[in-house]
Amino acid sequence: MEKEIVIVGMNHRSAPIDVRESVAFENAYVRDALARLSGYPVVLESVILSTCNRVEVVAAASDAQTACRDMKMFFDLQRAEHGASNLEDHLYTYQGTEAVRHLFRVAASLDSMVVGEPQILGQLKQFYDAARQAGTVGAILHRLFHRSFFVAKRVRTETGIASRAVSVSSVAVDLAKRIFDRFDDKSVMLIGAGKMGDLMARQLQRSGVKSLMVTNRTFERAVAVAGRMRGSPILFEDFPHYLKMADLVIGCTGSPEILVDAAAVEKVLRERKQQPMFFIDIGDRRNFDSAINDIDNAYIYNIDDLKEIAEENLQGRSDEAKKAEEIVAQEVENFGRWIGSLERMPTIAALRSHFDEIRRRELARSLSGNLKDLSAEQRKALDDMTAAIINKILHGPILHLKKNTAEGGEEETLYVAALKKIFGLEDK
Amino acid sequence: MDVNLLRAAAVFYLLATASFVFYVLLRNTASRAPTLILFAGFMLHTAALAAHFFQEGYSAVTQFQEALTFKSWLIVALYLVIQIKYRLTVLGAIVAPVVFLMTLAASAFGSATGELPPGLKTYWVPVHFTLAFLGNAVFALAFAVSLIYLLQERGLKHRKMMALLKRIPSLEALDRLNYQLLVWGFPLMTLGILTGSFLARIYWGDYWTWDPRLISSGIAWLFYGALLHGRITAGLRGKKAALLTMFGFCVVIGYFLWGETLFPSRHGGRFE
Repeated sequence: MEKEIVIVGMNHRSAPIDVRESVAFENAYVRDALARLSGYPVVLESVILSTCNRVEVVAAASDAQTACRDMKMFFDLQRAEHGASNLEDHLYTYQGTEAVRHLFRVAASLDSMVVGEPQILGQLKQFYDAARQAGTVGAILHRLFHRSFFVAKRVRTETGIASRAVSVSSVAVDLAKRIFDRFDDKSVMLIGAGKMGDLMARQLQRSGVKSLMVTNRTFERAVAVAGRMRGSPILFEDFPHYLKMADLVIGCTGSPEILVDAAAVEKVLRERKQQPMFFIDIGDRRNFDSAINDIDNAYIYNIDDLKEIAEENLQGRSDEAKKAEEIVAQEVENFGRWIGSLERMPTIAALRSHFDEIRRRELARSLSGNLKDLSAEQRKALDDMTAAIINKILHGPILHLKKNTAEGGEEETLYVAALKKIFGLEDK
Repeated sequence: MDVNLLRAAAVFYLLATASFVFYVLLRNTASRAPTLILFAGFMLHTAALAAHFFQEGYSAVTQFQEALTFKSWLIVALYLVIQIKYRLTVLGAIVAPVVFLMTLAASAFGSATGELPPGLKTYWVPVHFTLAFLGNAVFALAFAVSLIYLLQERGLKHRKMMALLKRIPSLEALDRLNYQLLVWGFPLMTLGILTGSFLARIYWGDYWTWDPRLISSGIAWLFYGALLHGRITAGLRGKKAALLTMFGFCVVIGYFLWGETLFPSRHGGRFE
């Protein structure tokens, strides 16, 4: 039986967030949803992918056209619970080679909102695992997903797409990582309560800094910000005394005056036995004396420096994305060859139908014999179960056979001949 | 000295150098290859040394090229230890060309071996030169680590070479490694000098003589001692410490390379 890969779904470009949310699958319900998908006769294998930026169904189907229609219906049904409206405008469909390319691009984070962000691969693996556990992954999707993981890995190691920070705060964290070896023994001081400073402090907290001090001209605001971020508030007049405890100092006040000058930094560094300090000046005005840069063991970057680096990195990313697209194109071609080789394999089909025939025969005999009292539901369950058993039994051998065929090894003929002989496939 | 084995090692060190340079300049190269090539060279180097010691016994390091061979071997060994512990592949880009030049020079000087003077046929000789060389090798690596520190520091201060410097560990890690090397190197150097003065007592009749070689060692020892003291008590670190570490090594290596021709010493292990 020939299988085609089909993808139906929506992402951050094709649908607004409320539409995406209305069809999103919560982790706990993915299994149910996969079971519903298996209910469509043409959908032979399926994986559901649902993140905040995309909801997609990847399937291997016996008939692509029907499958597309069925899967759109599946989305509509999912949506129905949240008040019906036509999803058609928001859904895209990919078939065959285009579907393979799409999945590879998703895995390699080329289709992400922030190109190169690394989370998508982990999410993909997680949803693939869920589908595998639900038993809706067969040889095709198995191969397709593992290939997509491989493509993602290739893109990550062979291009610099993921290694460049493109936001001001991640650039600052990158710089901090070049100064400090570890963050879990470092303290941050946040001066001022601007939005940028907030973001930066949060990013540093996520990177695992030990503690955070917050100071502001209005002490109440310092208390409020510190409360929100589990930091300690400090009186504005007192912050110079606490400076020696801070490894990273974020300046983010609108104040027109210099709050920390070079002489103060020199003094503080002496007090801290020259432990390095990193000043990040991201307010509207300069809060720190730029002469700090001339002091050993003190480093200072202002918002313009950071923006410039972020710009360069973004430029670099789009260059790297071109390289990544080339890798994807190569891999799509490779995958196409493998799919092609499948069609040239009557042995597998024969093997499957041989086992399936046995299954049906025995099932029919039992259902008309001592199991004749079973309800329609139970009969269906039995049918599913036996089919699953056959699939599981054949999974390994068929995978092996396909692998050998794809590689075109000498073993191939040997295995095929052996199988034919053992199961008497030639008689049919 | 089996010159062929040593030459083969030199070839591998050259290949490793090229591989390290590619590693530093290109983003998309594997990080294991250069170290593995260096390790292959190290095995050949080990074989060359082992064969030599087997032939000559413990008096095997009396000549300049023998000293070079042994010293470069120690440097590679130490680098490999650091690489395993800290994954400091960039350091290899400095170590590989240096040991290549050292082994090349050693093999160019040929296979002549010298005899130890009769009064020095004692096991203290190998103990002495092993300790002293080990101290030297540690300081050589501290020199390289300091150099890398200065590169990273400069990049941060001048906002340059961002992509290249990503491969370099943080300033904090480099500074700590530099300190640890000093902590290891200084006692080794001290022991080297102590065993040396013990030998001097046997051979020259006095623990200390005002020989140029001994004076230069004494100066280097005082210098490193002061540096270590400054690091421990006075918060000396970072760029200044890196510069001083590099300067200290220049004192050590300077005499080893050029000082002898200006101020001849009676100490052995050189061109005789």
